[in-house]
This record gives sequence, C-alpha cells and structure tokens, in this order.
Amino acid sequence: MLRVVAEGPTILPLSFKNFSQKAQELISIAPAEQLSPSNPVRESVNTYVQLAGIESGYGYFAPNVPSGYTLVFELHYRDGRVEYELPSVRSAAAELRIAGLLDDIGRTPYDELREILLKTLAQSIWRKHPELQSVRAILWSLTLPSVREFEQGKKESYEFLCAYDFSLQNGSAKKNDR
Amino acid sequence: MRVRFQSPERVRQKERSLSQMRVTTRVPELLFPVETDSWLTVLRLGLGLQVTLYALSLRTDWAYLFSGTARKVAEALLSLQGHFIPSLGWFVALAARVDVPEETVLLLAWLGLFVSGCALLFGVGCRFSAIAAWFLHLCAAKSGGFLSYGMDNFMTIGLFYLMLSPLPDRLSLDWRLRDLRPKNPELLGFWRRVLQLHLCIIYFFSGLTKCLGSGWWDGSNVWRALIRPPFNVIDPEILVRWKDFLPLAGILVCLLESGYPFFIWSSRTRKIWLLGVCAMHLLIGVAMGMYLFSLVMIVLNVAAFGPGFFRRKGQPIILQPEAAMS
Repeated sequence: MLRVVAEGPTILPLSFKNFSQKAQELISIAPAEQLSPSNPVRESVNTYVQLAGIESGYGYFAPNVPSGYTLVFELHYRDGRVEYELPSVRSAAAELRIAGLLDDIGRTPYDELREILLKTLAQSIWRKHPELQSVRAILWSLTLPSVREFEQGKKESYEFLCAYDFSLQNGSAKKNDR
Repeated sequence: MRVRFQSPERVRQKERSLSQMRVTTRVPELLFPVETDSWLTVLRLGLGLQVTLYALSLRTDWAYLFSGTARKVAEALLSLQGHFIPSLGWFVALAARVDVPEETVLLLAWLGLFVSGCALLFGVGCRFSAIAAWFLHLCAAKSGGFLSYGMDNFMTIGLFYLMLSPLPDRLSLDWRLRDLRPKNPELLGFWRRVLQLHLCIIYFFSGLTKCLGSGWWDGSNVWRALIRPPFNVIDPEILVRWKDFLPLAGILVCLLESGYPFFIWSSRTRKIWLLGVCAMHLLIGVAMGMYLFSLVMIVLNVAAFGPGFFRRKGQPIILQPEAAMS
C-alpha cells in the first residue's frame, strides 16, 4: 500500500505521497530489514513466504494500468542483410509471460540486469539464426491512446528507450541510449 | 422469591469472566468451524484441472522458458532470498552428476506436473499428488522468475492449502476405491477458514490500491487494460462502442474487490458478491485472454465460499464431520 502511494500517481493529495515515502524509509530501517541476508530468521521468513506464495503484494493493475514495452531484434547477417524479428513463443500462455518479462526489463532501474535479460532473449535468436554477425535488441515503450484519442484516429505509439548490440565477439553488450 | 444483592465489584468480575468465556469459545468457533469436505472437493478438482491445463498450455514453450541463462539468472536472484527455496536448478544440478542433460530433466518435470494434475483431478494418491503438484509448480514459478505473474502466486497459494488440508475427500478415488480416510478431519474447517481470510485480504488490498488510481473511477484503466498487448483480445473498435459503460465497469471492479471482506460473510450478500466476483474473473478470462488466471481465481472463490451456496432455505449449512465422513 505504502509503495503504491509513494510511487504514485494516486488520487490522494501530495502530502500522502510524502508521508508514504517517509514511512517506507522508516520501514526499511526496521530491525528485521537490517538483518543480513544469511541471518537464519530472515532466511526462514523469506523461505516461508516464497513457499506459501505470499511474497508479493496484491495490487494487480493498481493504482493504474501501466503502459507496456515492446522489444524488436535487428538481425545483422554477415552478407550485410538486416532483418527484424520480435521475440516469439508458440503458445498464448507463454506470450503473457514474455509480456511480463518485457515489463520487468523496461521498468528495472538496473542497467546490468536489463542487459542480462535482453541477452538471454537474444541468445534464443542466435540459436535460431546461427549465421548472424550481430543482434541489436531495441526496447520501445508503448503509449496507449485514450478513448477520445482513439476516436480521433490515434493509435498506440512507440517511444525508443534503449538498444543493446550483441555480437559473438564481445562479452558485454554495447548500449545505446535515447 | 429470593433476591440476592451483589457488590458492583463482583458484578464487574462476573462480566469480565463472562466476556473471557465468550472470547475463549468464539476464537475456536471462528478458526475451527465444523465443516464438511465439499469445499475440499471443489479445491482439489479445480486445482487438478488448473495444474493440468497449466502444463498443457506451456507444453510447446516449456524448454524455451525454463532452460539456459534466463533460468540461471532467476535462480541466482532467488538464492539471495534463501537457499531452501525450491527451483528446477536443484534437479538440473542433481541430474548433471549422472550425466542426464537439462532438456531431459525439464521434460520429466513437465511430465511430473501434468501427471500430478491429472491425479488430483481423479483423486488418486491425493496427498502425494498435491505435494508433487505444489512442489513442481513452485520450482517452475521460481525458476521462471521474471516470467512468472499473478496466476503463479495464486496457484502456489491454492496448492499450498490443498496439500495441508485433510485429504482425501469423499469424491476422490482414494476414498471410493482404496477406502482411505483423512487423518485429521477436524481441520477441514480450519483450512477453509484460512483460505477465506486470505482471499479477503487479497481482494481488500487489491481493491483499495485500485481505488487510489483515478483511472478506475473514469473507466480509462478498464480501456487501457483491454487494449494493452497481449491482453487486446477484443477489437478496440468494438470496445469504443461501449465506452459509456467503462466508468461503471471500473467502479464495479473497485467495489467488488474492496467490499469483498465486508459483504462475503453475510448470507444476505454472499450470493451477490460471489457471483459478482466470479463473473468479473470470467470476463477477465474471456476479454483479456487470461483463462488460467481466471480459472484459479474462480476455483479459490468457489472453494472458499461456494459450498452451502445452493442450499435450500432453512437447511443448515454445517454438518457434523462424523456424518459427512460416514
């Protein structure tokens, strides 16, 4: 709850947001949060909540429905050809999971984690096309139109977020920001 | 007629002991109500179907989703939470010692999940099947890491309660053919109550956080949820014709969820709320393509508050466990 209000925007006045941010800071310095990750009490509690499925909150699509993200792979062949491909799965159930993964990639504040996750997706492209010279993973943020905008003919739009170049030679990717 | 006078102190003392007695009898009544196993039948059948469909839905992408670096990254992050949280990596590491490849381990895990789902559905080896289904699904959900979503949490919650509940139930093959009986039938009411309270917490906070977003009051969140890929099952051109109903739908979602713990307990409003929540999940399933998410939510709701729902007026909801077990 505090996180939702602290991260906003919500219908509550700004003072609630400030209060929630302070309350979150207070909670983060609570004794339990200060325990080292290897502390048996902390580890037992962490394990129990994971086993029972209660480790995350229940604010699905709350307070507002976020915009999504789209990933496009730019495939560079040795003969100079360039093709584009989207991350693809066979089933609709897996498609829902990939959409969740893209949301995590788009939202994470950690560049290293984003790079690793994109790399894992690029690896599957590489397995499919072993003749590739390099792959560029381009992440776009999706902006959805409102009902009124849609009635006026506006469709969803994409904004460039970042791109990573992966090649067989380099261990880490080269990042291109917007 | 004899009249006895008591000092106010003595009266207060008596009232205190009376209220203590009320607490000591009400708490066990609340947490350990006498209950039949109908709810457990619903939970077992529903989750059996859920696990089976879950396995079938991911059959073609199972190896892609759970193999290689993605799994290793998720498991590395998971190890920061604790070293005893199960993951598919446990099996892969064990199998690697006897030169069994990762693909074979993943296939066996999928097969185990599918078989345990079917076994739950028919009620064969109920306890073992429930534990196996919970464990294998948990391994997959944790190894999936970033690929997991709300549905996985609710499956874990449901399977966790199922494996702890007094199995088998009367409609299982274990009961009918193998003549097996639960060891602690008195816990039937307790686990149902835990599930009921858990659902109340889930819906209350889900509803409350939605109420804080302006988009649920003017319907824009309903619109966004329905046109956002990959949930855009319905053509926006069709949706836009129903735009006047979007605010109503948003407010209804907030009302149903945040009002759940207040209206689900009363026999007068339970019918409306249970039907409303199930209808909401059914619509989410159809309109957003989240069939498995909808199914698990309906199963949990019907198991928690459904049995006794269709009873005739005047007929008691509760049976003595001995009567139910005979």
